[in-house]
Amino acid sequence: MTWLWQRAWGEATAFLRRSRGISLADLVVLAALGGIAFAVGRVAGGWTGELRPVVEIDTSPWALPGYTLLSLSRGLAAYVLSLLFTLVYGYWAAKDHRAERVLIPLLDVLQSVPVLAFMPALLLALVALFPRSNVGLELASILMIFTGQAWNMTFSFYRSVRSVPADQLEVARVYRFTWTERFRWVELPFSVIGLVWNSMMSMAGGWFFLMITEAFVLGDKDFRLPGLGSYMSVAVARGDVGAMAWAVLAMTIMIVALDQLLWRPVVVWSQKFRLEEGGQTEAAESWFLELLRRSRILAASGALAARLGAALRRRASAPRPEAPARTEPAAVQRVLSALLLAGLVLLLVLGALQLVALLRVVPARSWGLTAGAALLTLGRVLVATALGTLWALPAGLAIGLSPRLSRALQPVVQVVASFPAPMLFPAALAVMARLGMGLGAGSVVLMLLGTQWYILFNVVAGAMAVPADLREAARSYRIRGLALFRQLLFPAVLPYLVTGWVTAAGGAWNASIVSEYVTFRGQGLSTFGLGSQISAAAEKADFPLLAGSVVVMSAMVVLFNRLVWRPLNDLAEHRYSLLR
Amino acid sequence: MAEPAATAAVATATPGAVAPLCEMEHVSHVFTLPSGQKLEVLDDVSLAVKPGEVVALLGPSGCGKSTILRILAGLIQPTRGTVRYRGTALDGLAPGVAIVFQSFALFPWMTVTENVQAVLHAARLPEEEVARRASDAIRMVGLAGFEEAYPRELSGGMKQRVGMARALSLRPEVLFMDEPFSQVDALTAEALRAELLDIWAVRETNPSSILLVSHDIKEVAYMADRIVVLGANPGKVQTIVENTLPRPRDYRSREVLALVDRLHDLITGHELPDVPAAAAVAVTEVLPDAPASEIVGLLEYLDARDGKEDVFRIAAETNREFGHLLTLVKAAEMLDLVDTPKRLAVLTPEGRAFVRADPEDRKGVWKKKLLELRIFSDVRDALQEEPSHRLPRDFVLETIVLRMPAEDYERVFATWIGWARYGDLFAYDEDEGVVALQ
Repeated sequence: MTWLWQRAWGEATAFLRRSRGISLADLVVLAALGGIAFAVGRVAGGWTGELRPVVEIDTSPWALPGYTLLSLSRGLAAYVLSLLFTLVYGYWAAKDHRAERVLIPLLDVLQSVPVLAFMPALLLALVALFPRSNVGLELASILMIFTGQAWNMTFSFYRSVRSVPADQLEVARVYRFTWTERFRWVELPFSVIGLVWNSMMSMAGGWFFLMITEAFVLGDKDFRLPGLGSYMSVAVARGDVGAMAWAVLAMTIMIVALDQLLWRPVVVWSQKFRLEEGGQTEAAESWFLELLRRSRILAASGALAARLGAALRRRASAPRPEAPARTEPAAVQRVLSALLLAGLVLLLVLGALQLVALLRVVPARSWGLTAGAALLTLGRVLVATALGTLWALPAGLAIGLSPRLSRALQPVVQVVASFPAPMLFPAALAVMARLGMGLGAGSVVLMLLGTQWYILFNVVAGAMAVPADLREAARSYRIRGLALFRQLLFPAVLPYLVTGWVTAAGGAWNASIVSEYVTFRGQGLSTFGLGSQISAAAEKADFPLLAGSVVVMSAMVVLFNRLVWRPLNDLAEHRYSLLR
Repeated sequence: MAEPAATAAVATATPGAVAPLCEMEHVSHVFTLPSGQKLEVLDDVSLAVKPGEVVALLGPSGCGKSTILRILAGLIQPTRGTVRYRGTALDGLAPGVAIVFQSFALFPWMTVTENVQAVLHAARLPEEEVARRASDAIRMVGLAGFEEAYPRELSGGMKQRVGMARALSLRPEVLFMDEPFSQVDALTAEALRAELLDIWAVRETNPSSILLVSHDIKEVAYMADRIVVLGANPGKVQTIVENTLPRPRDYRSREVLALVDRLHDLITGHELPDVPAAAAVAVTEVLPDAPASEIVGLLEYLDARDGKEDVFRIAAETNREFGHLLTLVKAAEMLDLVDTPKRLAVLTPEGRAFVRADPEDRKGVWKKKLLELRIFSDVRDALQEEPSHRLPRDFVLETIVLRMPAEDYERVFATWIGWARYGDLFAYDEDEGVVALQ
C-alpha cells in the first residue's frame, strides 16, 4: 500500500508547488468541508447517545439549525439507502425474467402501502435490536423515510435498464464487456437522467412524513428523535405559533439549499447522459456547479483521484498479460438468483401467513366500518384531485406556454412542490377554523395542499412541450379560446396530466393519514375515513385494525391504478402522444 | 483442450486451398416473434470468409444478411447448421471479430477517446497500450483533434469514423460491417470506403479480411472480392460473383459499371422473373411491403417517361434503396399495373389508364384490382355475409396467417389495410380493431 501513499503525497505536493493563489471558490469549498465535518461529528454524537425515548425538544429558534442538520442527515442517509436498494432490486428485476414476475408486482404493492404501515413493525423490531442506544430509533426513522423514497426510483431504474437500445447491448457483447463494465459503461449511464429526476421527487416525498417519522406515538409509548420534524410536532402540540413559523422557515431554507447545492448541479451534470440533442433545448445552468468547477482544490483532487485510479488499474492489469476467455459465470449467477428468489418468496409467504393470522382477529363490524371509511376517503381523494386540476390545469398552461413565465416560475414550482405540506396544516387549519369549516371537508383542502403541485408541475412540463409548429398552425387558422383548448392544448398535455393525476392521487391517499387526523391548538381532531382509522389504530397500537386498514388502502390504490389510471395512461400515450 | 481444435483445423483444410477465417455450413435460422409465430429468415446458407479478402453480402431488405453477420460473429445461435472460426466450431463469440454498426452504436456519454478506450479496457490491455492504441486508431480514421468531442457534436460520417476506430483499435482479423455507410451522406461514404480499403490494403496489419453487409450495388462492386447475392423470404444464397477487378478501382470505370450492370441483371432475374404475373401470384400471393401512395408514385414516374424505365435507373434517380424499389415494382406487378420484361418496368394498358384517370376513377380501378387478389376478396365475401358488415381485425389476421404463414402478419396487415383504404374498399377503426365494408 505504501506505493499508493507515496504517489498520493507526491501528487499533492506537486499541486501545491504549482498553485500560487487560492481563489474565492476554494475558500467556499474549504468552508463547506469544515461545515460537513462539524455536522458529521454532531450526528454521530446523537446516534451513539443513550436511548432516550422522549427527547426534550428545545423550541427556541437557536436550536433549529442543529435540528435541521439532523433531519437533513436522516433524509440523505435514507436516500443513499434508497439508491442502493434501487440499483440492486431494479437491476435484478430487469435482468432475471423469472424474478421479474415476482419483483415487479411486489414493488407495485409496496408503492401503494402507506408509509405509516411500516412504522410499528420497524420500530418495535429495531428498538428491540438496539436496546441500549438510540441507533434503533434512528434506523427506524431512516427506514421510514426510505419507504417514502425508494419505490419510484426503483421503477424508473428498472424501466431504463429494460429499454437500453439493442445496438448498445450488442456492442457490449461483441467487445466482451464483463457485466460490471456493461453496468458502468452502458446500463447505468443510460439510466442516469431518469434516476436524477426520480431522486428529486423521492427526496421531496421523503420529507412529507417528517413530522411523523421523527415523533411517533405507538400505544402507550411516545418516541421522539431530535430533528426539525419533531420540533414542528412539539410546536404544534403546544400551539406555539412562533416556533411553527421558525420551523417552516428552516424547512424552506433546507429545501432551497438542497435544490441549489445538490439537485441543480446534479441535473446540469446529468445532461451529458442525454441520448441525443433535441427535447429541451434550453441548457440547464447551476451557479453552484460553476463554482465547484472553478475551484482548484476540487479540480486537483479530481485529477489526483483519476491518476491514482489509473495507477491502480495499471497495477491490477499488469499481471494479466494474456486475457483468458472470460465467459460470464452464468450458471453461478442463475443459481444465486434462484436461491435469492426462493428466499424472497418464502419471506413473502411467511409474511402473508402472519398477516392473515393478524387479520382474523378483526371483528366483522370493523370490516364494515373500514369499507365505509375507504369509500369516503376515496371520495375525498377524487375531489381533491379534481379541485387541483381545476386551478392547476389553466395555471399550468399559462405558465408553460409563456417562455418568460416558465423560466421564472418553473424552479419555484419545483421547490414549492417538494415542501412537505403537513408543516403548513396548522396555518390552513387556522384559516378553516375562522371560516367555520369542519375537518370532513377540510381534510380535502389539506390533501389538496400536498398534491396539487404534482398536477401543476406536470401540466407546465406538458405545455412547454407543445410543438411550436402546432401552436403556429392554430394561430394562423385563428383557433382561439375554448376551441384552442379543446382541439390542441388539452390533448397535447393529456399524457402529462395523467401522470400528474396518478402521482397526485397516490399522494392524496398517503396524505389522508395526516389530514383526516390532525392536532390543532394542542387538541386532536379527526373525521371518519380510512386515513384517520389508520392513524388512530397506530396510536392505540391496535395492530389487527391497522393491518386491516392498510391492506384495504393498498388494495384500493392498486385496483384504482389498474382499472382507471393505467387504461387512461394507455389511451393518452396511444392517442395523444406527440412523440410518435 | 488444444488438441481437438488443432485436428479440426487440419481436417477442414483441403490441400491447395486457404483455410477460411469464418465459415458457416447449411445454416438455417427461424425467429420466434413475440406472438409465438415462427418466421424463417435463413434457409440452408453456406459461405466462408478467407484471409485477405473482402466479402460482401448483397440483397434486398428481409434477406437476412444482418442475421448472417450476427451468426458468424457468434451473437446469434443458428437454429440448424454449423459455424466455425479458423476451423473450430464456434462456442460463444468469434475471437477475432470486431463489428461496425449501421446505427454507429456509440455511447453518447463518452467522448470519442473514451468510446474507443472502453473496448480496449474490456479486452484487458495494459493501460499504456490502451492509450496508445486509442490515439493511433483515432488518428488512423482521421479524427485527430476530435478526441474530446462527444458523439452528439459529430456528423453522421464522423460518428461512423469513431465506430471504425473503435473496431480497428482491437486489430481484429476480420472486420464485420453491417451496412456501415447507409446512414452517411453519399459523398462522405465514398471517401470512407476508399480510406477503409487503404487501411485494409496494408498486408502486414489486421484486419486481414472484411465482411460487408450492403444493399448498395455500387458499393459492393467497388469494395468486394467476392459478392454473395442473397434472395429473400427466406434468405438464401442465389449466386456468388467473384470480383477480380484490379485495385484501386474507380466507381466510374467501364469495368466497374459493367459489373454493376451484371449484378443488376442477376438480381432482377431472381426478384422479378419473366413469367406471367398472374400465375406467379396465384401460388404465393405475398403482399409486398409497399405503401399504396408509393406504388402510385412509381406509376406516375413511369408515365412521365413514356411508360417504361430501367428499374435500376429509377432507383438511382429517385434515390431509393433498390431493394425497396423492387418491392414497389413487385407490388405494382401483382396488381397488373406494371409488367417487368428483363430489367424494365413497363406500364400495362391498365396501369396507363389508372395513371391518367381522375382520383375517383383511380379508386375504382384500384378496388377492382384488389378484389382480384384472394386476400382481399375473401375478406370482402366474409364481410358481406356478416349482417353488420363488420369483422374484428383478428379475423383478417387469421386469413393472412392462413394465406402467408411465413410472413409477419402485423406488417402484412398494415400494408393490407393501407391498400384497402386507398381503394375505399374497407374502413378500419383502430381503437375498436374493427374492419367494416365501406
